Amino acid sequence: MERILCFMRHKIPTKERRKENLPVEVETSQWSGDMSITDVASSLLRCEETFSACLARINSVVLQPLLQSGSFEQAKFFLLLNDHFQVIWDLTEENYRALKQTVTETETASVHNLYLAWKADLFLDAYIQYFSTFASCVVVQGFEHAARNKSEVWKSHKPSLQQLLEDFSPDTSNAVSLHTVLHKPFQDHLQQYSALFSKLEEIKTLGPDKEAIVNASRQFAKLRSFISQALDEAGLTRNLWKSLSHKFTDVLCTPERRLLEDSRNLSIFSSTGRSDRVLLFHDILVLIQGSSLQSFDLKLVWVDETSKETGNHTLRVRTPEEEFFLLAKEPESRAVWKWKLSQAVRQALNGKRDFPLWSHTGEGRAPPRCRFSTFTFRADGRLKGAAYDGEWRLGKPHGKGQLTWPDGRNYVGDFKDGLEHGFGICLVPHASKDRYDCYKCHWREGKMNGYGICEYGNEMVYKGYFRDNLRQGFGILDNTSSAKTPFKYTGHWENDKKSGYGVWDDKEREERYIGMWHEDQRHGTGIVVMQSGVCYRRAFHLDKMVGSGILLLEDDSIYEGNFTRDLMFVGKGKLTFPNGFTLEGTFTNKSSQGLHTEGILNTSGGEPDDTITKLQLGQREFPVEQRWEGLFSQFLEFVSSGGQGETEESFMGFHVQTSKELRKSQEYLYCDRETEEAPKNLLDELLEHQETEALQSYLEEALKSSLHPLGKLLKALASAFQATYGGIGANKHLLAMAQEEVKHYAKEVWEFYQGLRDLALKVNGQPLLEDTNQSDLNGPALILPLILPSFYPELLMLYMLYHEKEDDLYCQGIVDLSLFPDLKLLEFLDVQKHFWPLKDLTLTTNQRRSLIKDRCFLSATECLQKMITTVDPREKLDILQKTYEEIEKTTNRVLEKEYSLTMDDLLPMLMYVVTRASIQHLGAEIHLIRDLMDPANEGGKHDFLLTALESCYELIQKEFRLHQNWEVLQSS
Amino acid sequence: MMAIRELKVCLLGDTGVGKSSIVCRFVQDHFDHNISPTIGASFMTKTVPCGNELHKFLIWDTAGQERFHSLAPMYYRGSAAAVIVYDITKQDSFHTLKKWVKELKEHGPENIVMAIAGNKCDLSDIREVPTKDAKEYAETIGAIVVETSAKNAINIEELFQGISRQIPPLETHENGNSGTIKLGKQTTQMTRRCC
Ligand SMILES: Nc1nc2c(ncn2[C@@H]2O[C@H](COP(=O)(O)OP(=O)(O)OP(=O)(O)O)[C@@H](O)[C@H]2O)c(=O)[nH]1
Ligand SMILES: [Mg+2]
Repeated sequence: MERILCFMRHKIPTKERRKENLPVEVETSQWSGDMSITDVASSLLRCEETFSACLARINSVVLQPLLQSGSFEQAKFFLLLNDHFQVIWDLTEENYRALKQTVTETETASVHNLYLAWKADLFLDAYIQYFSTFASCVVVQGFEHAARNKSEVWKSHKPSLQQLLEDFSPDTSNAVSLHTVLHKPFQDHLQQYSALFSKLEEIKTLGPDKEAIVNASRQFAKLRSFISQALDEAGLTRNLWKSLSHKFTDVLCTPERRLLEDSRNLSIFSSTGRSDRVLLFHDILVLIQGSSLQSFDLKLVWVDETSKETGNHTLRVRTPEEEFFLLAKEPESRAVWKWKLSQAVRQALNGKRDFPLWSHTGEGRAPPRCRFSTFTFRADGRLKGAAYDGEWRLGKPHGKGQLTWPDGRNYVGDFKDGLEHGFGICLVPHASKDRYDCYKCHWREGKMNGYGICEYGNEMVYKGYFRDNLRQGFGILDNTSSAKTPFKYTGHWENDKKSGYGVWDDKEREERYIGMWHEDQRHGTGIVVMQSGVCYRRAFHLDKMVGSGILLLEDDSIYEGNFTRDLMFVGKGKLTFPNGFTLEGTFTNKSSQGLHTEGILNTSGGEPDDTITKLQLGQREFPVEQRWEGLFSQFLEFVSSGGQGETEESFMGFHVQTSKELRKSQEYLYCDRETEEAPKNLLDELLEHQETEALQSYLEEALKSSLHPLGKLLKALASAFQATYGGIGANKHLLAMAQEEVKHYAKEVWEFYQGLRDLALKVNGQPLLEDTNQSDLNGPALILPLILPSFYPELLMLYMLYHEKEDDLYCQGIVDLSLFPDLKLLEFLDVQKHFWPLKDLTLTTNQRRSLIKDRCFLSATECLQKMITTVDPREKLDILQKTYEEIEKTTNRVLEKEYSLTMDDLLPMLMYVVTRASIQHLGAEIHLIRDLMDPANEGGKHDFLLTALESCYELIQKEFRLHQNWEVLQSS
Repeated sequence: MMAIRELKVCLLGDTGVGKSSIVCRFVQDHFDHNISPTIGASFMTKTVPCGNELHKFLIWDTAGQERFHSLAPMYYRGSAAAVIVYDITKQDSFHTLKKWVKELKEHGPENIVMAIAGNKCDLSDIREVPTKDAKEYAETIGAIVVETSAKNAINIEELFQGISRQIPPLETHENGNSGTIKLGKQTTQMTRRCC
């Protein structure tokens, strides 16, 4: 463009000069024989000279008077046309000037001197612009308007017009003359260009420039077809507008719109009722029926002829809201329509027409099936009024897109065949303005299905599973801690309501309900644990406590009967005190006077025992297989659905790290999830690690990974476990339930692993393993130590609470014993003298041997202390074995020979080591190991050593109970 | 492949009756030198064939000192069999034996196999407990009884063979499995406290 402007600046004087004296003469030279470039250049020079003169005359005789004649309808197109006219004229002049210089100054011209060939694009562009505007003029009937305007002006100009047109007859209308004079000279001139180009192409000495010439020549040929096609289309379009009623033209007619095909011209009928006419424009497809019309944006029109039932006379047309058939009389006309339709659609999608408009180059290039476009739905139904912006396929939203409803509802995400499908974020506004529910969820066929996160406008957040838009299966509902009544529910849902097993934290009352739900109400058996350590089991009916329950108080007394939520006894009940006394009677509570009862106190209860302390709740009430069924079933379903990577998230959840990331979605962005997928070769990898050792390390890795399905299952189970037993849930009466649950998790994880493995085998076409091959392997036992770290803190806490009393006794014993110097302790524990490692008691000055502490069996002591740093029962047992070996080493060193320790030898020494190691919660440790170790250890050496350790633990407690001995020794 | 069954066996009896000696004799006095895990002289294993099975004895020796007696339940829980030893030269030790039997009946695992060993039979000249007494007593409680000498290796093998024979054969539905079968597992779980 810049170039053109600069030509114009220095050429205006030339233009002025020529206006007067140049004759009008069309170049008619005959080409003959071989020519040189110089010859062509001089021919071109003459040609340009003539054309320039012609343009000068058109300018002065036609264009300028027309523009000066004032305003008339569509005059703006003539202004535009004039602009493009001037550009062509300037180019011609410039070309002329350059050629003249070449011809006069150089002996032999080269292709580079041929501006026309070298800068063909400038010429092409100018002509395209000119004729596009010219075509619009035709369409809007600009020439007719111009001719009508001040017809007397034209009278005076008629002779001039006559001069310009050879076959001009006095009968020709002004409009036609105008039309002709403004296009024919240009077309003629282009024809001359083409002739010159074909001469150029014949020149043999072109060398490497030949290609440029051939290219330019082709471009000019295309330009010529473009012009004639554009004029044809414009003519047809103008005729159409003339023939249609205003009703239609008001809606349809724009200067740019072109008619490409008309059913009047090439017969075709629409299947949508009685259709009068089908019109194909370059941007829309129009069906006219009587006085109504339907138009379809070509960008969202899919045409195909594949449909079987329609035979070879029909085309299927798919649009967002309508699907219909076009019926042709014969296959040939169908073929033409099909071709034109798909070319038009393709060009509409390109946003520009082909060059030339119709050509063979466009053939075979069908429009893409998948497109990107916007559309507003109008038809009644779910989508009425909704605007869609995104990817389409075959008339339906498909791929990524965004739907916005008039009420403010908004969905951004994946679509499939017109429905939400995949991952998407949906915002549903509340009646009050700036609040809305935000669903980040997996969708299947238009509905929320699978895992999702919903942030409700009322500050609640749900993370869990959906089915058909409703909460269903496992899910966690939570509100922010700043809410008036903070709570958290972890459990099962049905029909959008809490149903089945679930855990409810009432953060205000500092209570946790673990139990059964029905339609958002506590219903069935439930256990309530309180911050104070009190817990009770009750039957609930529609959120109310019914019947009698069992209440376990902090001081280990137990009440069976009816009581209120605030722990007031009402009615008949039985209170059992920790000392075994029972009080049976009828209780009343008057707020001012405290507890009243009339009943029988039974003091014959005998020995107090620890049945109350150790009483366990929940195992029978909530069968372990059913507790987190809804969670586990999703993982199994993932396997049975074929374990496809893209469905993984919907079954196993996704994780949004921070609340900040959650907020992001409010800016209508796609949710920023951790979308990295588990490694593609997941299943292959699984098959490569089946040998016991490889399997073990594979499982270890997989369970640690937050991307691996096994790791995801573990993470989910851990969250359920923490919700139950963490915080307030740390209650000694729940130990059995928790311990059983962890063991069951190991089974579930193993089952899931087997599911994945069998799937992998199936995918790889390998036969499933027979059970017998695997029977050596106890899967759950293999899994348990691997998953234990995820549950260890809560579980150990439960063990500590459960064994609190014994651990306290033992601790007091340890504290007292730890005051003893080494020799005194060895003596007190009855370690036989010949085992005493006296050599280890190295003396420094002014130390008495009898006062030295913490020197004997030091290696064994330090080894045993490591036990609390480990989680895995196997490791703890290994530490125990090493401790034993250290003791044995020490005795062998002392005795200076190999010696097999008997139990009578061992126990006192081990007691010594245990005392010195002073592990605080040894009882909890021992029982945790025993409960969670591989059952294959039972009866074996590890079991034996653990029993020895337990023996020491018991002895230390017992010795402490027999207090007298201690005092004797301490005083001595 | 022959099935291996692991059998936990604990030894009970007065101090000095020869429990440890019996175990040592049984475990070490045999040509079968496969390395068996041992914890000193208190935990040993030995595998012997029995019919078409292999019995792997996991032998838990207990401390004999009086002050450790209260720990016994920890040792006999989960046992498939108990060897209760008395010294034929000490009437007292036979008395203690009866107390052990009583305790096992009351608190021990169900179906535990009891074997009574009258040890030190090489010293029959200073015998205090008549063979007949032991035999009769054993019959009343349905126990195996045998007089042994750890010193002279008399009846030691037989004692354990007797135990093997008393162990009920595997149930048929378990026969399909190979590998290790635990015995006394159910009883272990029963006697364990809460979990
Ligand atoms: N004559 C003889 N002596 C034996 C026999 N068996 C064991 N003894 C001896 O009896 C004594 C005690 O034997 P242990 O095997 O230590 O007895 P224990 O029952 O294990 O004793 P505690 O460990 O104290 O309960 C040792 O001096 C043995 O040599 C035997 O069959 N005949
Ligand atoms: Mg001994």
